[in-house]
Amino acid sequence: MPPKYSSIRKWEEFFVMEIKKTGVAGTMESSDIIVRIEPKDTEGVELTLESAVMQQYGKQIEKVIRETLGELGITRAYVNAVDKGALDCTVAARTSAAAYRAAESTAYVWKNGGVK
Amino acid sequence: MEFYTQSGVLLTPERLKKTEDFLHKMGLRYEGGADHTVQLLSDYGEILGNGCLCGNILKYIAIDERLQGEGAALTLVSELVSEAYRRGITKLFLFTKAANEMLFRGVGFYTLAATRDVCFMENSRTGLSRWLETIPRFGGTVGAIVMNCNPFTLGHRYLIETASAQADRLFVFVVSEDRSRFSFADRFAMVKLGTEGMENVTVLPSGEYMISQATFPTYFIKDVGSVERIHAELDLTLFALKIAPVLNITKRFVGTEPYCAVTRAYNEVMKEILPANGIEVSEIERLGGISASRVREAIDSGDGAELCRLVPATTLNYLKERQLL
Repeated sequence: MPPKYSSIRKWEEFFVMEIKKTGVAGTMESSDIIVRIEPKDTEGVELTLESAVMQQYGKQIEKVIRETLGELGITRAYVNAVDKGALDCTVAARTSAAAYRAAESTAYVWKNGGVK
Repeated sequence: MEFYTQSGVLLTPERLKKTEDFLHKMGLRYEGGADHTVQLLSDYGEILGNGCLCGNILKYIAIDERLQGEGAALTLVSELVSEAYRRGITKLFLFTKAANEMLFRGVGFYTLAATRDVCFMENSRTGLSRWLETIPRFGGTVGAIVMNCNPFTLGHRYLIETASAQADRLFVFVVSEDRSRFSFADRFAMVKLGTEGMENVTVLPSGEYMISQATFPTYFIKDVGSVERIHAELDLTLFALKIAPVLNITKRFVGTEPYCAVTRAYNEVMKEILPANGIEVSEIERLGGISASRVREAIDSGDGAELCRLVPATTLNYLKERQLL
């Protein structure tokens, strides 16, 4: 018997990613960002960001990290990021890579040409 | 100035000697313990920068002044941190001269405690507060005592009894560092057993933020005699400013120390730093002739009668059960 609502809901909506261990992605080289995601018992994403361009882009970087985690269904995590001037696409890529590693998941969904 | 990065283990005696010489020139002293080393080298193989990973601590970090201000420090620390992560070590600590604080801030390290000379940093802004959250809170007069208990003796028991009578709640922090004859698990179990029935005593591991002798930053301080003092200052500053206020601790208890010079020096620094931050230090006269080192001697010489005189029945039974005698 097929699941009740499967035909009308996108599979992402069922997707809740659980952070099982510490996951890291990225480097501290110029134009990159290193993102570390750790398990958290309580609801909420606690983010610490250190950036070379904090004044100009701190808010934007935080937004990209939070959105990326939101898309993956991550609602509980400690996130630590050290940015060295990464572009948004890099921030998103490093965040999701760290998340998949932290969730010990290989069910990565390749976006269609990177366009949403 | 051009440089290239080399990363690995200090294998050959020749390379080790070069590294020692470089660190010596930079005012540091190499004392071993490096699991992984990253070096910045000139075209001629001359060492211009060095940094080591020792367990979860970054040590021996120094950069030749010809390279300073060229992002060389960033390359060095970045490589060390990446190596630690590759090894699955994600909770990192480092000690540095106060002058280097901003450099490490830029690579995601946050200051836990700073004294005039030294700065103790962690690669997380929330590590300490997350640990503190796991500890229960109490009102009234809250006291604390930090002990190694290697193993738990009648002297320790007397100290805890006396201290707990002077406070509404007593935290007993057992040193977590596994550097003693008896493992942390054994020491912790013996303290738990030995304090059973003491209603207002809470036994906890000291964790990574209190007295971790292994992380002793002796290497970059030239005057070896001042080393204990600097470590003690750092440890107690962290306790006074970041730990005690959160746990409402207003009293710290300590036993008089007739034997060990390091502990005695630590206690002296305690009497300076804690009262200045509103924490009372209460020194309790220890029971005559009882010390953990005597217990260990008695075990080694198989002196059962002496052993019975020094430790409570709970410790004796535990040691027998676990065949640690």
